[in-house]
Amino acid sequence: MPFQNRREPWPGDWLTVAFLLGGVLLLYYAVPILAIFLAQSPAAVLSELAAPSVVSAATTSVLSASITTVIAVCFGVPLAYWLARTGVRWRPLVDAAVVLPLVLPPVVGGVVLLTVVGPNTVLGSVASAMGYDLTGSLIGVVLAQTFVASPFVIVTARAAFAGVDQDLEHASRSLGKSRLTTVRRVTLPMAWPGIVAGVTLTFARAMGEFGATLMLAYHPRTMPVEIWVTFLEAGLGNAYPVAVVLVCLSVLALLVLNVLGSDPWSE
Amino acid sequence: MLEFDSVTKTYESFRLGPLDLRVENEILAILGPSGCGKTTLLAIAGGIVQQDAGTVSLHGDSLDSSVPEDRGTVVVFQDGALFPHMTVRENIRYAAVPATDVGGLADTFEVTDLLDQRASSLSGGERQRVAVARALAADPSALLLDEPLTNLDAPIRHRLRDDLRAKLAPLDIPVMYVTHDQSTATAIGDRLAILNDGKIQQIGTPATVFERPATPFVATFTGHDNVFEGSVKPGSAQPHVQWGPYQLETDCAGFEPPTDVWFSIRPEYVQVVPEAQRDETPNVLRGSITNRLFEGDTYRLRIAVDDVDERLELTVLRPAYDHHGLAERDRISVSVPPTAIYLDEVE
Repeated sequence: MPFQNRREPWPGDWLTVAFLLGGVLLLYYAVPILAIFLAQSPAAVLSELAAPSVVSAATTSVLSASITTVIAVCFGVPLAYWLARTGVRWRPLVDAAVVLPLVLPPVVGGVVLLTVVGPNTVLGSVASAMGYDLTGSLIGVVLAQTFVASPFVIVTARAAFAGVDQDLEHASRSLGKSRLTTVRRVTLPMAWPGIVAGVTLTFARAMGEFGATLMLAYHPRTMPVEIWVTFLEAGLGNAYPVAVVLVCLSVLALLVLNVLGSDPWSE
Repeated sequence: MLEFDSVTKTYESFRLGPLDLRVENEILAILGPSGCGKTTLLAIAGGIVQQDAGTVSLHGDSLDSSVPEDRGTVVVFQDGALFPHMTVRENIRYAAVPATDVGGLADTFEVTDLLDQRASSLSGGERQRVAVARALAADPSALLLDEPLTNLDAPIRHRLRDDLRAKLAPLDIPVMYVTHDQSTATAIGDRLAILNDGKIQQIGTPATVFERPATPFVATFTGHDNVFEGSVKPGSAQPHVQWGPYQLETDCAGFEPPTDVWFSIRPEYVQVVPEAQRDETPNVLRGSITNRLFEGDTYRLRIAVDDVDERLELTVLRPAYDHHGLAERDRISVSVPPTAIYLDEVE
């Protein structure tokens, strides 16, 4: 009787075992997040949030992360489409260049950027002479965040474009529609969930960016830098409120990812 | 007329052409095995793939520098390539030229009830109906169908095949229908082109190609199961094929002097009887049944023919076979009338 169910040698099944093992890691994720919310009363958190330094850091972070996300979409989505469709032999090199900032320690990323846009470089000097400081400014924050966070939208959108059957594009053009119309009405709507996922991840990563930002633009302070400074100057307790805000924004990004990023065309 | 002049396309291990082909305002079925280049040929006509050399023209105008959207050559893909994020109505409207009667097209292709459904929810047969309706909504100057029925179950495929033939025949535009299925190709095409290894082996009406295959490959691919090599000895109005010890009389003439030939034995003319009952008429092969497959109304027999290292594949009606009480390993006689043999010179 080859299809007869056999009794497992112990109670439960392998899925339960897998879940129990993974559950250890899940607890490791969840407990610190819960702990930070329980560490202080909501009233104390709210009062700390009204502090001018916290408001300023939140404004800088939201503004810079938004600009970073727009830049990443404008330049990253076309690159993602090219990567998904091109047949050039040197595409793996471009792939590697895109993934490099993801695997590079952010602080190293900051050092690398300083060699190009630092105050003593040609680019940094010219920009400074024109009144645009590339370090220690909002531009510096955006440069750091773009380096570290934009690969997320490229990698995710590339996978989304690759998932769009090329025959659909061929069919559209064969039916008399231009390349631009085809991308606008066929490719983008179908890749949309993946692109939204990439945009959300990029925004969330930009909001949390610390290492490269610290190297390029200590001022104006972003929220991660504010947490760091508060932690050094006033202790862990005073760093909690801003950390709570960042956790809330991350959870919000996760929600957006799940709602907008789900495939609206699936049955 | 859709015209291919000396068209070639080379991939790493495959070369299509040089290929010359004229498709009048007709349905030309392109039949060939997987990898023979038939889809590449269609893609070249549709502008999806650029040929390395040669010219493709439609009604006298070269298409070589035209982008796919300006060619008027609409491709229907194997799985329909419907846009899954649109409804059936939106799919048809997407392509429709201003004068298109979307409702009328939907009626013609029996998809009216599906107009408000998402394309992603359709069955295979429904998808293909919508895909062809969408293609016609674009008012094509030529229609290119790439195995549109391949993935469908047999009953749906047969019905849709007949429907397609009825709807495409009156279009009065060049229609290329690519398939690897012989029965679909012969049923749907006004003419049939057999493609193998990037070269056209034969073009003609389905009846001509089936009755008078130009090469052993065409014979095998159009359903001739029993293709062998022999030789013809001249000296008779009706030449005999020498096949091992057998001398098979044929209806074919015109082989002078002694000639190496390939020949096929058409199973529909052949009779199988137990060896004990065989008569002494000419053209009788002897052998034994090595394999018998039940196929509903028929049996598929594999017969080892004595004294030649070959197997005959025959389909016989069950009642006739059961009447003789034959079984596997039984000795039998196979009567092959001269009309059952088609032969041609080995090139």
